[in-house]
Amino acid sequence: MKRNQKLVILSQLARELRQRGSWDGEMHLQKAIYLLQEVTDVPLEYPFILHYYGPFSFELREELNRMRADGLLELVAQPYPYGPSFQPTDAAKELESRFPKTLTRFRRAIDFVADVIGSRSASVLERLGTAVYLLKLSPSEDLRELAVRFNELKPHVSVEAAQDALQGMRKTLADAGSIK
Amino acid sequence: MAELPKIEHEIRDPIHDFIQMSTDERAIVNSDPVQRLRWIRQLALTELVYPGCSHKRFEHSLGTMHLASMVFDVVTRPLNLTDEVRQSLPEITDQGKLSYWRNVLRMAALSHDLGHLPFSHAAESQLLPEGWNHERLSRELITSDDMTRLWESMTPPLKSEHIVKLAVGKAKAPDLEYSVWEEVLSEIVVGDAFGVDRIDYLLRDSHHAGVAYGRFDHHRLVNTLRILPGAPRDEQDERRERPPALGVEQGGLHAAEALLLARYFMFSQVYFHPVRRVYDLHLIRFLEDWLPGGKFSVELGEHLAMSDNEVLSSMARAARDAEAPGHDAARRIFRREHYKLLYDRTRDEAARNPEVVSVVAEEVEREFGQGTVISDEPGDTRKPPDFPVLTTGGDVVSSETVSDVLKHMPVISLGYAFIRPDLYERGREWLAQRRMELTQPPVEDEGSEGGEG
Repeated sequence: MKRNQKLVILSQLARELRQRGSWDGEMHLQKAIYLLQEVTDVPLEYPFILHYYGPFSFELREELNRMRADGLLELVAQPYPYGPSFQPTDAAKELESRFPKTLTRFRRAIDFVADVIGSRSASVLERLGTAVYLLKLSPSEDLRELAVRFNELKPHVSVEAAQDALQGMRKTLADAGSIK
Repeated sequence: MAELPKIEHEIRDPIHDFIQMSTDERAIVNSDPVQRLRWIRQLALTELVYPGCSHKRFEHSLGTMHLASMVFDVVTRPLNLTDEVRQSLPEITDQGKLSYWRNVLRMAALSHDLGHLPFSHAAESQLLPEGWNHERLSRELITSDDMTRLWESMTPPLKSEHIVKLAVGKAKAPDLEYSVWEEVLSEIVVGDAFGVDRIDYLLRDSHHAGVAYGRFDHHRLVNTLRILPGAPRDEQDERRERPPALGVEQGGLHAAEALLLARYFMFSQVYFHPVRRVYDLHLIRFLEDWLPGGKFSVELGEHLAMSDNEVLSSMARAARDAEAPGHDAARRIFRREHYKLLYDRTRDEAARNPEVVSVVAEEVEREFGQGTVISDEPGDTRKPPDFPVLTTGGDVVSSETVSDVLKHMPVISLGYAFIRPDLYERGREWLAQRRMELTQPPVEDEGSEGGEG
């Protein structure tokens, strides 16, 4: 996929998330784009690692910052003491209008992920993202065993909560099958 | 404060006056991998634009080591710790562990650049086999048998795997598992906000370039650095155990802003100077033609035997010999016949079409022929300047909520197209006529259906 195509997908996803009440901070965008790539198979090709707050891509961070530099995203300050949100600019909207086929092709995937993310908090997204990461890593492993591994990686998430997240995301992965 | 190793040696330094080291540390400084850095320029061919910029990775590595322990001593001082940090990082109250990790930190700082290719950063993705970069070479060198013997001969003996983690940082070593403590220490060395690598290179590069942009009050900054709990990420972020990170007391915020502004100015004025960039591109072209298979060797002995000296002497010969591999690029470097800046993308043009540089370059090539244009899109997009700040009221908040400067810190993203010098005047006239047309918004490929376009 060419860079302009990736950019319009990122921009539209940020817009859809905002409409669903997302905070749209970097953490939220990172998790949304991870799901778009790994759950709905949109070929964005950002390499993700399992970081402290779940799946994270340094390359995606660079891309988001380059979009800021190029005037496609802007940071919007949030009330003290919270971090800023990303907001697509008018220039981003104009660029989106130039790629109708790309956006039509991935429209359902973008909506699907935006619905999954909705207004969920960073903590919940960390859990969901980590669940997907582990499910993709070991798709056939027993959920209980995966939940134990989850808990080892993130001790602040209990095995029960991890299992709930894994179960939920396994269903989400199955639901996503219909839109690929 | 951790127990200090005996100081037995001093080296004069233009930035830090004196850099002190123990006898154990001097043995590491004298090792082949560290000594090789005496022959690796910090800023590649920047000296062709800023003649004073001929400093080497060696003195930068010493400076980084020096600053690393300065920061360590400040952030581990008992008065500077919060209860939350003490609980999250048990190492911080154990004098034996502190002393060990201080040594590890200094050696990691000294070793963080061991894997650099000749002329430092210039195009390692093109010039190394797939899967390799200078961080991986640094890892291999730090854990090599020769270096491991040296680490183990220190008092106390150091573990090479600890040095590797701190020298490379989690972002470049996703396969390694870091404890929170190791992550904080690696931030001290290579962190995006206050890594001492960054502090030293900004001060040193600006000193040698003869520009004032890179200077800032680093003493004030270092003295106000703190290990702090991370700031909340959104309204619903109720996680009690946020990972500690390197942050700053509010009193040092202006020094932190000055560092990040210095970085911005150095990148926009020195590191991304278009003539410096085009010399880098000519250098890459020369190396691709001159190296066997177009790649540097990753065999450690061959890596250690390859420095700027070997490249420069071959380049000088190639510049004189029209039949030599890499002759054209070598000649352009040695005779200052570099390609000239034809197109410098504006921010508006980038917003209209983020791929506009490719569009211009393709059209130049169509008009003037193959090989007449080189495009380049440098950017400093590695981080948003966000770190925890300890307010005077005792709260920990995101830097972007208390600093208007950081909130509005520009991100650098540039786009250049260079043209062969003999075509420069014709190229300028041609571009003046076509610029408006070439910089229009993109049109989606008719046949793409949203695929590869």
